[in-house]
Amino acid sequence: MTFDIGNMSRRNMLKSASVATLLASGVGSLVAPRDAGAQDTNTVRVLSVEDPFFFSMKAMIPEFEKETGIKVELESLSYDALQTRLVSAFVAKTSDADVIAVDQMWLGQYLDNGWIISLNDFIAKDSDIDLSDFIPEVLYSSNMWRGQIGTLPVAAYAQGVMYRKDIFDNFGIAAPPTKASEDWTWTKYVETLKSLEGKSFDGKPLFPTVICGSQPSPITHMFTQLSVSHGANWFKSFPGAPWDFSPQLTAPAWAKSVEIYRQLYKLSPPEAINYVWFDAGTRFAKGDIGMFYWWTPYFYLVKNSGYMTGKKSDVMDKYATAALPKADGVAQTVSLGGWSLGVPSSSERQDNGYAFIKWATSKVTQKKMAQWPDLNYQFSDFARVSLYEDDEVKAIYPYLDVQYAMMKQGNGKITRPPVPGYTAVESVLGLTLNQLLTGSEDPKTALERTNSLFESILKGNLMIPYQKESFADTLDGANALIGTLGKA
Amino acid sequence: MHSTIIRSPRALAPVRRGFVRRNLPYLLIAPSVIMLLALIAYPLLFALKSSFYFWNLQVGPEPMAFVGLDNYVQAINAFDFRAALTNTLILSVLGTAIEFGLGLAIALVLLKTLPGMNVVRALLILPTTIAPIVVGFLFRYLYDPGGGLLTWVLQSLWLPVPAEGILGSPSTALAAILFVDIWQWTPFFAIVLYASLLAVPDEIIEAARLDRASAWTILMRIKLPLIRRTAIIIVMLRFMQIFNTFDTVLVLTRGGPGTTTRTLGYSLYEQGLVNFNVGLVSAMTWITVLIVNVIVALYVFFAFRNEEW
Repeated sequence: MTFDIGNMSRRNMLKSASVATLLASGVGSLVAPRDAGAQDTNTVRVLSVEDPFFFSMKAMIPEFEKETGIKVELESLSYDALQTRLVSAFVAKTSDADVIAVDQMWLGQYLDNGWIISLNDFIAKDSDIDLSDFIPEVLYSSNMWRGQIGTLPVAAYAQGVMYRKDIFDNFGIAAPPTKASEDWTWTKYVETLKSLEGKSFDGKPLFPTVICGSQPSPITHMFTQLSVSHGANWFKSFPGAPWDFSPQLTAPAWAKSVEIYRQLYKLSPPEAINYVWFDAGTRFAKGDIGMFYWWTPYFYLVKNSGYMTGKKSDVMDKYATAALPKADGVAQTVSLGGWSLGVPSSSERQDNGYAFIKWATSKVTQKKMAQWPDLNYQFSDFARVSLYEDDEVKAIYPYLDVQYAMMKQGNGKITRPPVPGYTAVESVLGLTLNQLLTGSEDPKTALERTNSLFESILKGNLMIPYQKESFADTLDGANALIGTLGKA
Repeated sequence: MHSTIIRSPRALAPVRRGFVRRNLPYLLIAPSVIMLLALIAYPLLFALKSSFYFWNLQVGPEPMAFVGLDNYVQAINAFDFRAALTNTLILSVLGTAIEFGLGLAIALVLLKTLPGMNVVRALLILPTTIAPIVVGFLFRYLYDPGGGLLTWVLQSLWLPVPAEGILGSPSTALAAILFVDIWQWTPFFAIVLYASLLAVPDEIIEAARLDRASAWTILMRIKLPLIRRTAIIIVMLRFMQIFNTFDTVLVLTRGGPGTTTRTLGYSLYEQGLVNFNVGLVSAMTWITVLIVNVIVALYVFFAFRNEEW
């Protein structure tokens, strides 16, 4: 056989090349992480998200290195990048970290897939971790899955209300209560906001409130606080056993919540339709918002003009915090979330990993993180009861009683169920909610359509009928586990 | 009766040389072919196989069941996929056409010997050197309804700006993303077309002028035909690039409001790297690859039907 390059068809050659290039563009590449095993055994590699806790934790790391002699290699990523990096590394079975930051929603997936190890044995053998000091609702919501403690909380979030004292005083509006009460309802909350409608303050037009509208996660995070307050459930039976993931979005509580959320959007800056978490949170810091509810880290973040800027905001000394409203006749449930630390099963330095987690989540370190003065004191996301009672910390963060009360009413497993396949249904719900804010579609119709999409996705993901073993995941069960491991 | 001829090693040498000479072209391209197979063919075939399985990393770490074409049916039936396809086609076709038109106009201006043109040429290439995600953040501030430069410019020109902001309104969000792409990539067309136009022989243009051909005639009858091949190739490249638009959508709108700015690239990201549904995203990838290939094949067929290339 001969090959005459002169007669070779350029057309065919270029066609092949262009097709090959096109095909390549359609396939993503996995991240190739560094090999942890090749590193010094006296180090610990920590892969974290760049949420507020990261900055104060980073500032404390020299103390850990001094105490233990273990060198810390700390790396931070954005939320999306961290999730992508972790899952890619786990699939390739080459995680490059000894400690990873785990979002509340990822725990079930990571433990079920064997990507992180259970910390039960470490905790059981540890006499001074003081498990009983953690708020049980936080451990239950963010750290436990099928009777295993997979992570420990480094930053725990609830949701609460922030409002402008000076604006409320100026217009003679009664301040919202700092403790939950039967009178402080979502109806009252909306009425209070409406009393600010069309008003100006300090020569600027006011917006009564601000919401988060960007899909899929940001809007879902804010909306589901409203829906869970009204008693809405995502699934027929979860977290109690037997698990039945038949979607329940056609229940009246969902439609009612959409109606209220739409009202809140009408009382917000119109561009809030595109607001992600910190857009909504720090908009309040600009000074033209009367009152809003959001994750408790914003109790301190609004002191800054912008997200983690360290530059004092206009509202720094003019705002106060309050309890989250409830729905008439429904027991309150507060959304709990936040970040925790876990040890990848692929780590060859799991002891070092646990040592770091124990240190970062300890009362001493968390208190030092809270007392770190940079960025105007930017950390009060405690999961430990003792820190909510610490006078030195309370002097810096005067709202801790309100925050603790919200934590004690929390249940993150009902608000945003951390079940396998959660993000797939969240993306559909987030899209629907976003469309409902700008459109005129009847919420009931949109939610019925979404419910059927949920059902189709969950069936496609082999979740309906549920094919694995259920687990009776209750707060009582969590308390029993805390007691058992604490006494060991 | 057979006779065995035993050749000495010296006698074998010409045989080996003959083999090498006959197969030299294959040997030369072999490394490239091996690389192509390893980096392109294998992942694609792997994705093809995965597309027929239920494999969701949120549910389990391994493929769990053969589901035939279910993933393809699910991908096509998802209403946001169809919206994403429509938006992607709008962005790709309009973006490529506008960028080509503007790029050509700029290239023709660059040919003029005007003062400061060297600086203009140097500045012109800057947008293309910025990472798209950075451009996304830049335009997020420029579009900001509370004082963003572009919002202010439109308001100053008495043009209506939606209350939700340019990125918050279903009527303007997709156009805003298209504008970002045009801002960043028009210079690419301008520079490449400018380089091609420089290669057009002056004698031909001069001769045409002596024959009293108008500037329009010179452009349409001489310049464009002479840069035709370059133009066809860069149009194809840009079309394929815009078809994969993802970064700017992620930063500017996350596909919203509703599905008005969702693109196929963003949908692939969401299903693959947020929902980790490997089976579904493999099916979506193959659908996307087929659509792009059909469009490009038709384009290539019509663009080059009268010539060998």
